[in-house]
Amino acid sequence: MLELYHWEPNIFFLKPMLALAEKGIEYTGHYFDPTNFEQFRPDFPANRESRLQLEREGPVLVHDGAIIASSFFMLEYIAETFPGPTLLPTEPYERYRMHSWGQIVALSLGGAVAALGCERYLVPALRSRPAAQLRAQIATIEPLERRSAWAALVAASDDDTAARAARSRLALPVQRLEAALGGSPWLAGTQYSIADIDAFAMLNALPTLAPTIVGQRSTPHISAFLERMHARPAVRAAMALSRTGRPAEAFVPGPEASRWG
Amino acid sequence: MVTLYHWEPNANSGKPMLTLAEKGVGYESHYLDLLKFDQHQPEYLRINPDGTIPALVHGDRVLTESTPMMEYIDEAFPGPPLRPTDPRARWQMRWWMRFFDAYFAPSLSMIGWSVFIGPAARQRDPAELRAAVERIPLESRRIAWRKALFNEFSEEELTESRRRVVFATGVLEAHLSQHPYICGEAYSLGDINGFNLGYALPLSQPERCNDQKTPHIMEWLRKIYERPATRATWAKGRTQMAARVGMLERAAAGPKRDGGDA
Repeated sequence: MLELYHWEPNIFFLKPMLALAEKGIEYTGHYFDPTNFEQFRPDFPANRESRLQLEREGPVLVHDGAIIASSFFMLEYIAETFPGPTLLPTEPYERYRMHSWGQIVALSLGGAVAALGCERYLVPALRSRPAAQLRAQIATIEPLERRSAWAALVAASDDDTAARAARSRLALPVQRLEAALGGSPWLAGTQYSIADIDAFAMLNALPTLAPTIVGQRSTPHISAFLERMHARPAVRAAMALSRTGRPAEAFVPGPEASRWG
Repeated sequence: MVTLYHWEPNANSGKPMLTLAEKGVGYESHYLDLLKFDQHQPEYLRINPDGTIPALVHGDRVLTESTPMMEYIDEAFPGPPLRPTDPRARWQMRWWMRFFDAYFAPSLSMIGWSVFIGPAARQRDPAELRAAVERIPLESRRIAWRKALFNEFSEEELTESRRRVVFATGVLEAHLSQHPYICGEAYSLGDINGFNLGYALPLSQPERCNDQKTPHIMEWLRKIYERPATRATWAKGRTQMAARVGMLERAAAGPKRDGGDA
């Protein structure tokens, strides 16, 4: 029995939707709206690892009773568990690269992308809700790191300080992705892998969110990569699961920026 | 042919050192003194332009991310497997390594840098230190070093780091009270990662990590310290920092006997 708790096919939520489509694996989908805090309801599947996952909000996979969270490791679980086309490079050094990209996307690119998307779409949406009720909902969130992320969105100032900081954090990972995709068709090397699924899910919104940083002119190799991805039948199948018709506007708080500066 | 550029058996440097030792893979060792900024010298930047340690060179391949490096070592070399075969247990191992790397370690090392690395490095000429910081290639590392060297951690940051260390210690104790090792019954890369992070917790956090409050963490650390690969790896340490591992020696169970073996 395989169940996936997911939202719109964007960012972390898109990753397992796409990987399962690539593998051709059937599953029961449970669509939930994380901006209505449905993931904190008592009947939502949770364990220690899913509550404390560092990307804060994201999909949850339940496989024969086992709860699997944290989107890159979920991709690796899917790739290692299910039949279908392999999504893992066979060569150890390509797998090393795959793991390294997973780390960079999670800890460096991911937080910046989520921050930009939240600033553009989620903050205005939260502002349109009754403030007292929203604050009361946020006040009960555990753990503290997830509560703080939501509280920070509600308290966000009108200036663009946070967005500017997020844009500057994007520069290095984007530069590295661009260089890698200039040297090989896929991030791990010669083979399409979960590293491509992982990066695509986070990069897809950037031509809209940060057009001066990711676009035909500044990052031609990333642009070509996004086109190659959009041409894949599995990407189309995953995108077709959108209920809003605007998946690229669906954002939740992501991993925090490095606490060291 | 394997070459490892590393500092003390501690934190990120210790991860590939202990993994290679467990696999029984010999390597050419290049010790870089982190406190003398050897890792930002031109000779090393030719190996790793980011100026971070460790770096593993295997043939014409260069690996610079310590946690993915451990998985590579386990895959590329013969020797006892250090990852479970069950995907669920592997997922757990990876989840914990990320929790150690990205939640526990940054907070613990912020405290460590403020009380140990910073004061140790401040023994040197301030102008020389400032020049050394300017040579650091990655901006994020430059900021971290500046904070450590010139003691620019805010009280708020340190308070939050202390809170997280206490919280993460509790999460780890709860986990190890249910499982002897990070991903169940078998020793894995998750334990190697966690040991490098936490071997000195009983000394640096004596109020929080001790036989009364965290008996399962203590037993786990001692079990790992008893492994020949751990002993051999920590014996490569050159400073007092690595020598702290000695506190994991089990106290003699009873009074020592006189005379030889029966």
